[in-house]
Amino acid sequence: MWRYLFKRFLLMFPTLLGVAVVVFLLIRIIPGDVVELRMAGDRGAVSEEILQQERTRFGLDRPVWEQFLTWMAGVVRLDFGTSMWTGAPIWEEIRLRFALSLQVAVMATTVAVLLAIPLGVIAALKQDTWVDYAVRIFSIAGLATPSFWLGIVFILVLLVVFKWLPPMVYTPFWVDPWQNLQQLIWPALAVGYRYSAVATRMTRSAMLEVLREDYIRTARAKGLWQKLILWRHAIKNAMLPVMAVVAVEFAFLIGGLVVTEQVFNLNGLGLLFVQAVAHRDYTLIQALVMLVSGVFIVVNFALDIMYAWLDPRIRYR
Amino acid sequence: MQAIISSTLAAVVAIGLLLGAQPVGAQEKPRYGGELLFVVPSQPPSYDAHQEETFGVIHPMAAHYSTLLRVDPFEKTGTKPIGDLAESWTISKDGLTYTFKLRKSVKFHDGAQMTSKDVKASYDKIIFPPAGLKSSRKATYGSVEAVEAVDPYTVRFRLKWPESSFLLNLSSPWNWIYRAETLEKDIRWYEKNVNGTGPFTFVEHVKGSHWVGKKNPDYWDKGKPYLDGYRALFISASAPQVAAIRGERAHIQFRGFSPAERDQLVHALGPKITVQESPWDCVLMVAMHHEKKPFDDKRVRRALTLALDRYEGSKNLSKITIVRDVGGIQVPGTPYATPPEELQKVAGYGKDINKSRAEAKRLLREAGVPEGFSFTFKNRGIPHPYEPIGVWLIDQWRQIGLNVKQEFIEASAYHPMLKRGDFEVAMDFACGFIVEPDLDLGRFVSDSDANYGKHKDKVIDELYLKQGRAVDAEERKKILRQFEKRLLDEEAHIMYTLWWHRIIPHSSKVKGWTITPAHYLNNQLDTVWLAE
Repeated sequence: MWRYLFKRFLLMFPTLLGVAVVVFLLIRIIPGDVVELRMAGDRGAVSEEILQQERTRFGLDRPVWEQFLTWMAGVVRLDFGTSMWTGAPIWEEIRLRFALSLQVAVMATTVAVLLAIPLGVIAALKQDTWVDYAVRIFSIAGLATPSFWLGIVFILVLLVVFKWLPPMVYTPFWVDPWQNLQQLIWPALAVGYRYSAVATRMTRSAMLEVLREDYIRTARAKGLWQKLILWRHAIKNAMLPVMAVVAVEFAFLIGGLVVTEQVFNLNGLGLLFVQAVAHRDYTLIQALVMLVSGVFIVVNFALDIMYAWLDPRIRYR
Repeated sequence: MQAIISSTLAAVVAIGLLLGAQPVGAQEKPRYGGELLFVVPSQPPSYDAHQEETFGVIHPMAAHYSTLLRVDPFEKTGTKPIGDLAESWTISKDGLTYTFKLRKSVKFHDGAQMTSKDVKASYDKIIFPPAGLKSSRKATYGSVEAVEAVDPYTVRFRLKWPESSFLLNLSSPWNWIYRAETLEKDIRWYEKNVNGTGPFTFVEHVKGSHWVGKKNPDYWDKGKPYLDGYRALFISASAPQVAAIRGERAHIQFRGFSPAERDQLVHALGPKITVQESPWDCVLMVAMHHEKKPFDDKRVRRALTLALDRYEGSKNLSKITIVRDVGGIQVPGTPYATPPEELQKVAGYGKDINKSRAEAKRLLREAGVPEGFSFTFKNRGIPHPYEPIGVWLIDQWRQIGLNVKQEFIEASAYHPMLKRGDFEVAMDFACGFIVEPDLDLGRFVSDSDANYGKHKDKVIDELYLKQGRAVDAEERKKILRQFEKRLLDEEAHIMYTLWWHRIIPHSSKVKGWTITPAHYLNNQLDTVWLAE
């Protein structure tokens, strides 16, 4: 097992390097650069002299390979440089937003798991009964409803019916939990519902598959207690594909809630991503892509460990 | 029912316009206390206004600073300079020397006394920046020969030629006065730090989230500010901005809302909302590339402007987007704006659109442009007001037999496209911080970096210089009319579409704030107070 995990761990580095090369080159292919955008402002005119002066300051006048090597030398030391738009260290730009995005992702995942697993299991156990149909309608509605739209509905209902709007400014949980939850519970519910729909469907079909396996029939034939069959043999095995879905969705939530963050005015990584691209803030885009890729890779690695724990065939391979 | 709702909305807006436009001292006694909450739709790249171009710097930070002069916060055209740090000033007879007496009781937020050294150091940084340091508005001070600190409380500007716009230019909201000693140690210190002499001190900036300021107890203008503090909330998307005002999480957004958003807020909040409106010192223009056929022919360019029914366009477009006024080279209603009767004599501004379009068709025939001639119009990929104006332009040009295809270019790639000259006809744009011909019209001189159509016109260049040096206002107006006639009519180098229209619906609790044509003005917040 250790060998398997070590191999998986080593694979993380070439993946990250590939991401670094692709993002570095792609962002430079897009027309327009950070200097022109920053200088043009609302007035729409700026001299070539000022543009050149700023390009030199950011090192954009140097050959691309030289820029890449300088950046990579920083990345190796975990120094992603400074934002070309604000001049602030990248870590400072990301820190607060990461905390917010991580919290929304954790809360949405909690909502999703709490809904999806019981509903999926019940639907499978009560296949083709009204319970199953109700769960299927609930989950298909979730799949069909974009989370940002649900977010807009939440905001409208809160505004129109309750004459109340969630706080506009993020307060960390450890500073004021009540204020924090008042702001983040709504996006967590909006995102968590769609997320739960995917996981519910997956749980249901995985459970149905597992319940038809020979070892479940054998367990039943041995006269094992139904709850024991369910918990020890069925759910544990059915969770393998569910874990994969939950993990990938979780990683996606870290940087992918672009529209939902706009709807709720959340100062998260998704919004920062959009702003960074709109500003052509090369260093920030590169750092964000590396961060989100890193999260995906780490989550996948964690998933591999989980797989090994859940499935002895992987562990003893 | 619809009519009743509409007329009620109109009445509420009209009352708001009347009430909201009144200066602070005019009716109620200011109340002390409270925190002003306002939305900022952009964010500050750095903290140094001398270098930056976006209102995302001015809105949250202007209240920390003072300027030498400022624009009168209660004057609606935003064109009247008054003293800020300057107590009084004199101008020499030849118009070449401006001497300012400074207030003596002004302190920086770190406790240091403000003197003429600070004013000189700040203006030296703006006008004569050291190599490698950017100064965004350096070019507008080309007339300044030197800035001198005569004594601790007297500062003098010596000019190379007289300039009628100089006082107003010194009222620029960007020209914050920094501490000389700090600049001496580190000229870039203000990019990441705040230390001004303004009515509010800096508390915190959480990037992407908010900016907080609190009352400066040592502010030189005793009795001000009225507010205990303010909190600027950075919200980029328009729907949450409206929601913030509607949900009373914010009192005001100082840039502007669309007509639909205004109506939505008025409808939802009724008397709790006050609306102030003004012509906006922002305009969309149409640049025609003078080096590309057939736009090298002034007859074609004139035909394009003659095709536009600006008055009808104003009526219809003002209902759906942030444009309204028909005007020439200056914001309507401001000192150097073209009087309506004169404007109607300029090509494309006549009231008889059929006559104008017949003339346009004749000019196209004369220039050898065939019926159904097609070209591509490049537009900036921003919904308001670019998209509706683009659609309107295409419809107008179709009326004279032109077949125009619109191509949207992503906002961030747009400016480079204009600079490369990679267009036949394209939307051009400008937003000013003070309505002043010197500041607004410099872009039309032949060697300007913003002359995207690449016209070469010595007459325009001379007229621009002449108007800037004309000391008498009436004489200056005459020159400006000649400039306008040449730019928009005889040569039709460029065409103005409609001036933007600024709409600020705000909580009725907000008092002491007056709208002006520029969204860069009136953000010092010293006169603002909150009613109970």
